[in-house]
Amino acid sequence: MWEFLTQRWADVAYRAFQHTSLVVQSVALATVVALLLAVLVVGVGRLRGVANTVSAIGLTIPSFALLGLVIPLVGIGTTPSIVIVTFYATLPILRNAVVGLDGVDDALLESARGMGMSPLASLLRVRLPLAWPVIVTGLRVSTQMSMGVAAIAAYALGPGLGGYIYTGLSQIGGANALNYALVGTVGVVLLALVLDGLLVVLARLTTSRGIRA
Amino acid sequence: MSVSADRAGETGGPAPEEGVDRTATPARVRPKRDWGLLVGLPLFVLATLAGWAIWRQTAGLDEIETRALDWATVRELTWEHIVLTVVSALLVVLVAVPLGVLLTRPGVRRLTGPVVGVANIGQAAPSIGLVVLLAMWLGFGFRTMVVALTVYAVLPVLQNTITGLLGVDRGLLEAARGMGMSKGNILLRVELPLAVPVIMSGVRTALILLVGTATFATFIDAGGLGELIDTGIKLFRYSILISGALLVALLALLIDWVGRVLEAVVRPKGL
Repeated sequence: MWEFLTQRWADVAYRAFQHTSLVVQSVALATVVALLLAVLVVGVGRLRGVANTVSAIGLTIPSFALLGLVIPLVGIGTTPSIVIVTFYATLPILRNAVVGLDGVDDALLESARGMGMSPLASLLRVRLPLAWPVIVTGLRVSTQMSMGVAAIAAYALGPGLGGYIYTGLSQIGGANALNYALVGTVGVVLLALVLDGLLVVLARLTTSRGIRA
Repeated sequence: MSVSADRAGETGGPAPEEGVDRTATPARVRPKRDWGLLVGLPLFVLATLAGWAIWRQTAGLDEIETRALDWATVRELTWEHIVLTVVSALLVVLVAVPLGVLLTRPGVRRLTGPVVGVANIGQAAPSIGLVVLLAMWLGFGFRTMVVALTVYAVLPVLQNTITGLLGVDRGLLEAARGMGMSKGNILLRVELPLAVPVIMSGVRTALILLVGTATFATFIDAGGLGELIDTGIKLFRYSILISGALLVALLALLIDWVGRVLEAVVRPKGL
């Protein structure tokens, strides 16, 4: 095991970097999409049911199935990984953003309006900051999920540590099969823990001082 | 990493099988039934399935595609997939609920945090990695897959069992004791029934995880609809690939629907 790691250290590090990079970029993209959708949903009341249904059903679709549906559209490689990771990452953030934005006390919004804030200012300076802790929780859920989805998506020759798991699978019985699968799996767990820790810090730093616990 | 309270309840509903299902939704079980989904979902699934069946009958498939999508084969794969899901789900409940009960008993409760914490970290492992590693250890086949699935889906039910039991009003327990109920009676007639809605929401999450993760069964010769997806990708036959993906997705939706129905049916009348 140790030998395996030292021999391939550069490759392992590179794949770990790819994995993280894929997840971070996809989740970032997902956050933007989810926030825009959430603002839309909260603004247009009737969309709320639709958003709930879509995110409930979306999360039901197995990632391997979605991978199968996406490959004919975008081919294999990095693109399907980005597409499906972003898809799944969007849903928890969207759900939490809607819950968070809805949870803001109406009286506060009224005061904001009374102070002469435009709807946009009230959204950016009152609603979003107050909803932020809930949104970040969604972000953490999404990131955790994305680490695993990214591993699965590697089946279509996507980037990251998932490739090691599939290599291990295809070489079962071979000398390094266990090492490959172990490094891939444990690597994802470690990366997930580190990213989650970073997000906790980020959450603290970005939460408005007035509502910080 | 955390089963921190801030997580609980912020997001509802199941996650795809790569769950890390922190979303296990303790404490936020909507009592309101979503009739649209309850009725619409099976109709949608049936309609799509019918559409697929018509396509399958009429499309000009070549020999390889015809063989891969043979009716008997598809039926068998679907059945295998369902069996994997259901057997593992039963095992999950058999393991997780008693464990949750045990972990909420006075004296043992100290262990709850550490146990759930460790389980949470384990849950961050990608399901495919878990399947592959277990297959290396236990060999290929149905049994290994059931073990992998069970291990993978225990957490949401365990977590929700604990949350549900701890959420029962202390006053009610006191009242039950005052009425002279024994500990076992209190557990079976007060605590568990009151916790059922939360537990069932965990079971639904577990079902989704299971039906999704069961697609990897094909990698270790344990059958299931994942085989069609795998074949489709390997042979680069979109008809097989999309059929497989579609059927898995439909099955997942159907299982989700069954979970929703179960949730509604099992809920004790008083709640």
